[in-house]
Amino acid sequence: MTEGPTVAATPVARRGAGTVVVTGAAVRSAYGRGTQALLSGLLSGRPAFSPVRRFDVGPRRVRVAATCDGDPDLRTELTGTVGEACDDAGLAAADRSRTPLFLAIHAHPAIARADPADKPQLGPAAFAAAVAAGSGLATHGIRCYLSACVAASTAIADAAAAIAHGRADRIVVAGGYLVESDQFALFDAGRVLADDAQVRPFSTGRRGLLLGDGVGAVVVESHEAARARRVRPVVRLAGWGRAGDAYHPCQPHPQGHGMARAVTAALQRAGIAAQDLGYLNAHGSGTAQSDPAETNALRLALGDAAGTVPVSSTKSLHGQALEASGVLEFIVTMLAASKGSLPVNAGFLGTDENCRLNLVLGEARAATPRYAMSVNAAFGGANTALLIGVP
Amino acid sequence: MRPPVPQAYPGPDALTAAAVAAGLVVRACAGWPETPADDRVPPLAGFIESTFSPLVAQVAGRALSRRDEPPRDQVTALVIVTALGDVTSATRVAAAVDAGTRVPPLLFFQSVPNSVAGYVAARWHLTGPVACVTGTAAGLAVAAIQIQDAEADEVLVVRVDVAVTDGDRDRAAAVVVTGPTGRNRPGTAES
Repeated sequence: MTEGPTVAATPVARRGAGTVVVTGAAVRSAYGRGTQALLSGLLSGRPAFSPVRRFDVGPRRVRVAATCDGDPDLRTELTGTVGEACDDAGLAAADRSRTPLFLAIHAHPAIARADPADKPQLGPAAFAAAVAAGSGLATHGIRCYLSACVAASTAIADAAAAIAHGRADRIVVAGGYLVESDQFALFDAGRVLADDAQVRPFSTGRRGLLLGDGVGAVVVESHEAARARRVRPVVRLAGWGRAGDAYHPCQPHPQGHGMARAVTAALQRAGIAAQDLGYLNAHGSGTAQSDPAETNALRLALGDAAGTVPVSSTKSLHGQALEASGVLEFIVTMLAASKGSLPVNAGFLGTDENCRLNLVLGEARAATPRYAMSVNAAFGGANTALLIGVP
Repeated sequence: MRPPVPQAYPGPDALTAAAVAAGLVVRACAGWPETPADDRVPPLAGFIESTFSPLVAQVAGRALSRRDEPPRDQVTALVIVTALGDVTSATRVAAAVDAGTRVPPLLFFQSVPNSVAGYVAARWHLTGPVACVTGTAAGLAVAAIQIQDAEADEVLVVRVDVAVTDGDRDRAAAVVVTGPTGRNRPGTAES
């Protein structure tokens, strides 16, 4: 085991002077609508995977995912979820109209099947503008993130940075992915879906990932802005980090170099030591290469604390929500820390020596962490870490 | 320091002007096409059927090769900017799904812009954050905040637009930018 990294004594040097808080959140997942449904589902420990009925999976090798009922419309779900997050944050209509939206999506859902002449009008920006208009947010400053499985977490980090450096008072960050035929076909063709219908992060016998619905939104704002509205923050966004592997188009660095730097940067910005972390929601995709790389990254960044910090990958419960993963799992981390119960790392069969961490196994674990982290990774060697502090 | 290479086409010039307007210093720029010889985008191994990823690799390489040799510990971020994304690949996948035919496995990797970003990052040892956003202004804002937030010393911003309609043509531009005060990043624990 390596020594822990040196943590910067002056976190402000890497993060700007402002304190960043989260004042509201809303979510829809395979467990249903709302944070309470998500929390109940997570704490049940029962994975939400079931046979896909939303589209034809007959030609596919794997035919399960974590989906909510029916065939919901992404724009409708995002618009509703953003509105619910604003309600949760107590945002008045006038405040909403001044708040920009950062939105993480894969693409405009209609572009792939549109007539060529219509495609130029079907960019992600047009989609995001419709979501912003529908939820009463600002018509300016809208930004779309398309960076695969770190799209939403990068958006949250950038929003936090903009607020900490005084560039913005408040930003709503949202992300949405609803399991659909094209990404399902691609992941099936790439042979990364688990053919035993279970995601088993960091476990022996893991056979891959499974997709899952995820639509989430959080209201990120400066502490001063929240105080001026007399709103009590849910959590502090104490630190964040993003870094690249510089290694491969679609494989993580085996030693987790980029993720280690992202985690270290988040700790530095928060000005805390690795030992202060009380929970870590891992990327934990459940694939052969990604889980050992992440384990190495956590050992590198956390040092000895990598063996003691409770870790779970809740993708084993709600599935992989692609571009929305970062906001879905950030909300999971917020709920776990603020409600005092850490969700289980489901599907575990046995210890893989290359993935030895302090996993939350068997059932949810009672704990009251002061600090918790959500880690994400994506193709291209992109890595993010978001660190929250519980008031 | 070498000055930015003058460009005959509006893509890199417009991107350079936008970067300067955003308060960034442009260290190098590049475009596609730059000369009449740029009539076919060179293929990129592992990426098929769409010019999106080859275009990114081409202009990224041009811009990075035109900047001064960076310090050994320089951290460079990569931001891909696109209006529509890789429409060619997305359309190809949808057609295969609708027809019930086989989806080529290589399209799995290139269906997200991160994959070519990973190629560029590995080829040029760019260890900073990787992001993909819509809109030039948004891309430059991400670059600026990454520098101000001490996440990177410089940022490679690549704008890519593949031809969508008849008569349209592929276009891409790239700039390497820094902040006005140079290096902003403190020493960090190198892993």
